[in-house]
Parts: sequence; C-alpha cells; structure tokens
Amino acid sequence: MNPPGWLVDRLPEWARSIRFRYTLLYSAVLFGLAAVVVAAIYLVLVMSLRGEPVSPTYTKRICSNVSDRCVTIDYFQAREFTRFVNSVTLTKLRNYSFGALGVLFVASLGVGWVVAGRVLRPIGRITSVARDIQATDLSRRIELPGPDDELKQLADTFDAMLARLDAAFAAQRQFVADASHELRNPLAIIRTNVDVALADPHADPDELRHTITVVKRASDRMARLVDDLLALARRQEPILEHEPVDLGAAVAEASDDFVVPAAARQIVLDRAIAPDVVVTGDRDALKRAVANLLENAVRLAPARSRIRLATGSEGDRAWIAVADEGPGIAPEDQDRVFDRFWRADKARSRADGGTGLGLAIVRQIAESHGGQVRLQSKPGVGSSFVIWLPVAATPSSTGDSGPAAPSSLAPVATPADRARTRPSFGPPAE
Amino acid sequence: MRVLVVEDEADLADAIARGLRREGYAVDVAYDGDEAVDKASVNDYDVVCLDLNLPRLDGIEVVRRIRADDVGQPTRVLMLTARDSTRDRITGLDEGADDYLVKPFDFDELTARVRALLRRDAGRSGAVLKVGDIELDSSRHEARRDGQQLPLTPKEFALLRYFMSRPGQVLSQEELLEHVWDENADPFTNTVRVTVMTLRRKLADAGDSQPIETVVGRGYRLREQP
Repeated sequence: MNPPGWLVDRLPEWARSIRFRYTLLYSAVLFGLAAVVVAAIYLVLVMSLRGEPVSPTYTKRICSNVSDRCVTIDYFQAREFTRFVNSVTLTKLRNYSFGALGVLFVASLGVGWVVAGRVLRPIGRITSVARDIQATDLSRRIELPGPDDELKQLADTFDAMLARLDAAFAAQRQFVADASHELRNPLAIIRTNVDVALADPHADPDELRHTITVVKRASDRMARLVDDLLALARRQEPILEHEPVDLGAAVAEASDDFVVPAAARQIVLDRAIAPDVVVTGDRDALKRAVANLLENAVRLAPARSRIRLATGSEGDRAWIAVADEGPGIAPEDQDRVFDRFWRADKARSRADGGTGLGLAIVRQIAESHGGQVRLQSKPGVGSSFVIWLPVAATPSSTGDSGPAAPSSLAPVATPADRARTRPSFGPPAE
Repeated sequence: MRVLVVEDEADLADAIARGLRREGYAVDVAYDGDEAVDKASVNDYDVVCLDLNLPRLDGIEVVRRIRADDVGQPTRVLMLTARDSTRDRITGLDEGADDYLVKPFDFDELTARVRALLRRDAGRSGAVLKVGDIELDSSRHEARRDGQQLPLTPKEFALLRYFMSRPGQVLSQEELLEHVWDENADPFTNTVRVTVMTLRRKLADAGDSQPIETVVGRGYRLREQP
C-alpha cells in the first residue's frame, strides 16, 4: 500500500523514508494486537464478573468514649459487596490498560525506529557505495560483511554485476586504446612522410614517388582497418537480415576470390562443399567470415601447402571448416586469437596487411547467427577453424546432407583424391 | 649529433631518419627493441627517438636498458607513442624518457624537441648557438660568421654545431666520427679530416682568423675567443 502522490510530496524527507513507514507499520500492528488482547481480556472479565456500583444497605456511626472519635461503618449484603469489589477492580484494570497501551504505543514507535534502522543499515551502505562508484571508478566493491543473508546476497549480486561492468568497460577502453593506436600509426606514417617530402624543395621525382607509394600503402592499411572496425561495430547487435542462405553457394562464392592469391603462393585450395545446407542469416556476413578465415590461411600458411575448405551439416547444425598446414598457433595463444587486435607476430602480420580484427569479426558473425567458432591448432602442424551455425528450419535441409564428418579435427595429410570428394576433417563431436 | 630512431613501422622510421639527416644529424635506425639495445650499447647516441610499442622488446624496457648503460653524457630519450593515455606517458617519463610526442606528430615539432633535448646538455637556451663571432641557428639551418652567411653542406653544418656545443674542448677524430657520422660511415677513411678541412676553409673565407685549431696528436678545438 503506497500513500498517494500529493501526500508524499508534502511530507518532510524523514517521513518519506522506508524507515518511517516501517516504524509506523510496526507500531500500528503491535499497538493493534495489544489493544485487541487487552480489550478481549477486559470483555471476558466484564462478562464473567458482574460488577456494578452499589450503595450500602444501611450505615451505622460508632463513636469512641475515650478519644471522642467516630467512624462510619457501611453495611452491605455479601453478594453486593462482591459486585462492588468487581466494579472497582474493572475500573482500575481499564485505567491501567489504557495507560499501558499508551506506554506500549510510544515504546513501539521507538523500538520500531531502532529495529528498522538496524535492518536497513546494510541497504544504506549498499546505496552509499553504489553512489560513490558512479562518481569515481568501477573498481570498488560493496563487500558487505556479516552472515550470508538476503541483504548480503543482494550486495554480492551487486558486486558481481559491478565486476562484469568493470570488465566490460575495461575491454571497451582497451579496444578504443588499441583502435586509436592502430589508426594513429598509419596516420603518423602519412604525415611524417609528407612533412619530410614537403620540407625538401629539391626533392627528386624518385624520392617523391617513394613518398607517394608509402602514403598509398599507409592509407590502404587505414582503409582496411576502418572497414573492419565498421564491420565490428555494425555487427555488435544480433543480425537483422533473416533470409535463408544456401551455405554451400555462399562459401563457394567467398572462396572464389582466394583461388588466385593461393595459387600465387603455390598453395592448393581444396574445396569440399556439401549441397543443400540452408541456414538463416546474413549472406554477406557469412561470406565475410569465410573470407576472413581464408585470408588468414592464404597469408600465413607456408608456400606449397594445402588449405582445405569444407561445409556440411550434422543434425540441426551446419558447419564450415577451414584447415591449413601451418604455422599453427601456440596453445597459450589459442584463447586469445579471437580477441580484437591480437596478433601472433605484430610486426610481420601488420606488414602483411593484417588488421588484427579478422578473427574477432568471424567470432562476432558466428555468434550473431546463434552459432560459434572453434579452433584446433598445433604449432608446426596447422590450424582448423570451424564455424557452427544452426540449420534453417526448412524441409529441404532435414537430416545429414553434408559429407560424413569424422570427429577428428586434426589436419592430417590424406590422399588427395579422398580429400577432393569428402573432407578428411570436420567439426568435432561435442 | 647522433640520433637513433627506434620504430617498428619501417615506413615511419625511414621517413624520420631521412628528415633528421637533412637537418644534419647522423641517424641510425633500429626496427625492434633488441636491435635498439644492441646499437645503443655499441654507439654513443645523443638522442634516441623511441617508439614505445615495439616487437620483441618493449620500449619501456629499452629505456631502462639504455639508462642502465649510461656513462658520462646521458642519452636523451624522446618517446614516440600512439597511445595518448596519461598513464602510458607517466610510465614512460618515470622510466627515464626525457620527453614524449604523440603520433601523428608534426615533423617540425619532432626536430624542435630533438633540438631542445640537445640544448639541455649544452646548457644554453634558444636555438641559436654563439661562439666568438660565429652564430649558428639550428632551427633555420643557418650559420654566420661576422654576419656573413656560411655556405655549409649538411655534414659541415652538423660538424660546426657539434664544435659549437662544446667550445674550447679538444675533440678527437673518433669522437667526431661517433657523434656526427652515422653507422654507415667507414671509420678507416679520412672523411672526418676532409670535412674539418672544408669547414675550416669556409670559416676562414668569412673572417680573418681560423677559429678551429688543430691540437697535434689529440684532435681539434674551437677557440672560445677569436
């Protein structure tokens, strides 16, 4: 039960507090109960002891001969005397009861105020810490002492939420710092090269051409980075496009762009694409995820090696797998490869054109489609990335339609003819 | 004045080196932290322009090691950083960097800060050095004797600047080679002798006395009073 708004607005601040309301409630309940009990006792007594004021039957005055003092003696009938005593007792009981109830009312207000204060004190602490945290930083915690009761659970829940917020903000700050670092470096290259070239009035055409080449390289890098950053920002939310996508066709299309770059490094690109696997989602995003995986593989795999690309489905889930034959990812780095701006070898991959965002984008695309991406890698042997996606609920895609997927993901060298018809690797059984 | 540029972005490192060389500095380049520490331990650099974010060995660690190696004249460290958080800059300055510059920077600002760091050692203020009747303005890249402009090549200019930052001191050929030429100079050629000779001729042409004198068996000295 809440008091009406106009009343609340007129009350002083202390009277608006939950402590005040709690005190009133406590006091009212206690007083009401006590009043009922007292009234009940009184009524029972009134009904069982008939009491009424009576007058004496007759009065006799006796005077002493010695001291000249007189006393008046009232004479009652025995039955009437009992009634008289009852009447006096009941009157006294009523008066004392009213007094006791008054004292009880005042005491219950005081006790209610103190008890409410005690009960609410941890909430005050939670509030003050939460307010401080807003104003300062997220590293503080409430850390409520005491037994594991409801309020401590509340405080602990707050603490857990603060920890998650803190981690999220820290990740965001780190991302902004990393992004600004990655954007400033090419900017610095452009600016310094232009400054140095402009400051030299006698620069020869070769030197200027060199400067222009460097500037182009740096601006290409920035363009790629901005593309990737925008791709990441755009895919923060769950996907908007919900069209059925023929996974095989999309993957084949994405991989077509990599046939020539792979051939340039004498890398064989094996494709084993299962027909009739349909997923729901954003076709361009899925193509981008495959392209990012293939781009990494083509860029980093050793020359004259083999990259295998396969798709298929298993039950109600579809998979896309990309496996290469090196260089592999160290076990301690495998959890971090999907982090934004993580690079195995900073200097090398940056020069190669990697932005450090490719795998983060892959993960985001997989997760925004309700799927996930898994990695299995062994340094010196190779890496396999598998994207799992839920299969669209259409009749055409029921059952296993892809090539049989062995449970081993390790990129094992297999005879080429077998690899061409069905992939020798696939998603792990989970 | 010898400068080491430490930067893993080759395109940036080379541009800085090119620009600083044109200003008359002897510039070496290191593309990662290990290489920087190696070069700093072999050569005596006056200024190190150091990127903080380096592969293999972090920039902060490079500063620490350069400081641990410091003997005599301290190496001035100008850190270049693409991170603008105050904490990064405080860490860099606390670990021994002398100044910092946030990327992307104006190249003129870089050269101005390098000059300022070099002035700290020379104990002078302003970009203009003055010894006797010789004046040298490093920011405008001009040198005059008796108000008459000297037609100096960048190397001669750098050599004169080094003499003028240490007037009255005897400077050996080895020291001049170390601070005015970069690691590409061949220590067995007589390039120092030849450049000193051409500088002296140009100075003599502009005045009536020779301010740089030969101290037999030890090197050269710029006289403080003509």
